[in-house]
Amino acid sequence: MDVPRILSANWELPGSHTLEVYRAQGGYTALKRALEMTPAEVTQIVADSGLRGRGGAGFPTGRKWTFVPAKEKRGGKPVYLICNADESEPGTYKDRYCMWHDPHMMLEGMLIACYAIDSRAGYCYLRGEFGFVQDRLDEAIAEARAAGLIGEDILGSGFDCELYTHLGAGAYICGEETGLISSLEGGRGQPKLKPPFPAVEGAWGCPTVVNNVETLSVVPWLINHGAEAYRAIGTEKSTGTKLFCASGHINRPGVYEIPMGVPMTTFIEEQLGGVRGGKAIKAVIPGGSSVPVMTADEVARANMDYESINEVAGSYLGSGGFILMDEDTDMVRALTNLLRFYAHESCGQCTPCREGCGWMYQILQRVDGGTATEADLDTLLDLADNIHSKTICFFGASAAMPVQSFLAKFGDEFRAKVASQRAQGAAK
Amino acid sequence: MPLVKINGVEIEVPEGTNMVEAARLAGEEIPHYCYHPHLSVAGNCRMCTVDVEAGGRGPDIACNMIARDGLAIRTDTDDVKQIRRSIMELLLKNHPLDCPICDQSGECRLQDYYMEHGDHDSRLADPKHGKAKRVDVGDHILLDAERCVACTRCERFGDEVTGTGELRLFQRTDSTEIGIFPGERLSHDYQGNLADLCPVGALTSKEFRFTKRVWYLREADSICPGCATGCNITVCHQQGEVHRLEPRRNDAVNDSWMCDAGRRTHLELEPEHRVLSPRVEGRVADWDVAAAAAVREISSGRVGVVFGARASCEANYALLALARKHAPEARYFLVEGNDPGTPEGSDKLLIDEDKNPNRRGARLIGERTGRLEGGAALREALAGGALDGLIVLQDDVLGRLDVDAPEGLVVLATRRSRTTAAAHVLLPVCAPTEADGTYVNRGSRVQRYREAVWVRGEARPGHLAVESIALAWGAAVVPSEGAEVFAALTREVADFAGMSWQALGREGLPLVVAAAAESAPEPDPASPAPAK
Repeated sequence: MDVPRILSANWELPGSHTLEVYRAQGGYTALKRALEMTPAEVTQIVADSGLRGRGGAGFPTGRKWTFVPAKEKRGGKPVYLICNADESEPGTYKDRYCMWHDPHMMLEGMLIACYAIDSRAGYCYLRGEFGFVQDRLDEAIAEARAAGLIGEDILGSGFDCELYTHLGAGAYICGEETGLISSLEGGRGQPKLKPPFPAVEGAWGCPTVVNNVETLSVVPWLINHGAEAYRAIGTEKSTGTKLFCASGHINRPGVYEIPMGVPMTTFIEEQLGGVRGGKAIKAVIPGGSSVPVMTADEVARANMDYESINEVAGSYLGSGGFILMDEDTDMVRALTNLLRFYAHESCGQCTPCREGCGWMYQILQRVDGGTATEADLDTLLDLADNIHSKTICFFGASAAMPVQSFLAKFGDEFRAKVASQRAQGAAK
Repeated sequence: MPLVKINGVEIEVPEGTNMVEAARLAGEEIPHYCYHPHLSVAGNCRMCTVDVEAGGRGPDIACNMIARDGLAIRTDTDDVKQIRRSIMELLLKNHPLDCPICDQSGECRLQDYYMEHGDHDSRLADPKHGKAKRVDVGDHILLDAERCVACTRCERFGDEVTGTGELRLFQRTDSTEIGIFPGERLSHDYQGNLADLCPVGALTSKEFRFTKRVWYLREADSICPGCATGCNITVCHQQGEVHRLEPRRNDAVNDSWMCDAGRRTHLELEPEHRVLSPRVEGRVADWDVAAAAAVREISSGRVGVVFGARASCEANYALLALARKHAPEARYFLVEGNDPGTPEGSDKLLIDEDKNPNRRGARLIGERTGRLEGGAALREALAGGALDGLIVLQDDVLGRLDVDAPEGLVVLATRRSRTTAAAHVLLPVCAPTEADGTYVNRGSRVQRYREAVWVRGEARPGHLAVESIALAWGAAVVPSEGAEVFAALTREVADFAGMSWQALGREGLPLVVAAAAESAPEPDPASPAPAK
């Protein structure tokens, strides 16, 4: 497989996190180039590239930038850029790699994005456990500021921009963009009602663009190489490369950058070194724990891009958290484990998610423990239906989709646990 | 004005109306917990979910949906019914169902909506979460976190209305509970509203707790007599006893709120504080005897007439009519300040410095004499022995002016005071909970209070108490019906022109010439300005 390296190009270089090494690889030339363009031209390149948000939702990045109201419609309000580094989706750890190995690439992307959306301040919001990453970013910001790359009159262009890091308190929900904004504002990390959307009324009531670490890290490459070059990689609708964080029963777990559209089996065999112990695949969660699970049959037919995964398995590319489960996996236990996470992380705001996630976890524990009935399985599915899309943010759906897909695709295992318990009960 | 469709029926609603309110205007009740017309939209309970037929994507919550042309919603689809049933099931998942010992029983949205929209059989096989019960969060409020549905109305009230922000959500997931930071207590004068706006039994009033099952209570529209703001209230009573006062929504006056002092005004009207019988020289007398004695005190010599800022418009007007008819040479007074013993203080929200509910009305009526004098003039007149008789309507003027009683003091009063103690003739007047009448508030709004409970002792409505003197004097001065007294007032005082008790309705009317009256240096908080 021909593997172009955009995001991970510098990761193996010694001192890749330093300004010196980054500049030696052509770092910050994209910033200079961007500052010579108009903001609209920069946005156009990003839009033309087909780059889609890498945080999970896959929304076209260039389009998101155009949602910021024009200056005369902002009533004097500033615009903010937020880099979403609250990477908390189970199975996902690519942003940490980006920031740890190549912090300047992301910072350069933030600066270019700020320029494109007319922002003078960018915030990088990190999950609470990323204190060590914050230290590294702060060092990088200091280096860049000393070099005149951050601050006033950047590279003599007259463009002023400050970048800040902010450490969260450790909540999955703060990766949801409005939850992140609530937390950044100093409030409880709770998603906000939409409308208004952040691009119009975000942080402190000002227009705000929230982009993922990986998304922003791609931007310098787009400026240097152009939209066409990016479109040449991947598929028509899923352009470019994508970082995947592979984990589970595979031989070589890790972060891999591959072009979109690679067959999933090729990815598993060539990059991940196949299934551990030569076993058969039972299931794959392709995009972080929230997306619907895929069966082995679906895995065989799907490619690693947004459209294929959706068409073949009704699932999503998500954040790129690729979790493989082999034939020995207890799917009931796997789902119970997942729901433990959601029952712990629901922000507690909306009724369905607040009460429902905990209840689903309680029921699953009984299913796994063998004290549930088939009626409980019906209740479980009912609850998932009643949570999905009935809440302020997408968390509810994120907790419901695993339940729905596990029960739809591996329902026999759940029914077997219920039935075997009944058989044992009868035998007593 | 946008034209929207609700269950197929078109209705035009004011710009900016959300769909819960739009439905209300269309006569359709959309159930909700977290939405409150005077708080920001939280959108967390999800109970108001409706199906969007056109102009949006459904299902979605009605509280965060602003009416716009072409928007069409349905509240009667199977989807909506299913969602409501599901929300009820989920809200009750960890609810203790301790209705038998819960004060909210009978006015609880969990109970009401369960009957209307839930009605499901329990599928619960797992334990409920226990949470804190009986948390003392303030002087007037107890918190039961188990009963809470986390609607955050109380949190938003503290943030947006009082600006004190004491109550907060703590924890997350199904452990989420409302609480208060350690060592903190509710620190504002509007705590009672928390018990009112809590849609369930999580925040209850310490005063009302365990005193009365709400389904026994009867209600009457009234006006708080505690200060010049004139908050619209509901008197909740049973068998002659007032059990609680609650704010009644009036967006022109008090939104949905009232202060804690206002909630206690009925306690000041209990018998131990009251004038219950006519008295002559301290001795209980028949009304006829006392009225005749009153006439003797004020029918000769130099007479002073003191209008009452605590008395109704009708009583003040009767007093004006009495004086014109029988004592045309009298001097007229309206005394500034508050009765001693009334709670002091004011704020920017609802509490006014002027603790009299009807100073504005009393002044408008008193000024018809063309020679209304103030407290200083009365003090001087009393000190100089310039008055041989004085008739006082419901104010504690001796307390206010700190002067000794004059000769021939006739007092019409509801509550005991220094003035009633010194009265030569004392006539009992009904409390505002016992009669109908009108006040004019600080914002020049004429508002009507209605009889709630039966009369204590031998008290009479203010205008009839005055009328009894008039009759003893030989000629009636006002009709016996309060509504007719008010009608006479509207014919004479241009500010009231065209009004009637009926026309005042539940929310009152602004004075006709309020604009002209505004030029006087009075505060103009026609509506409270909550810190938003």
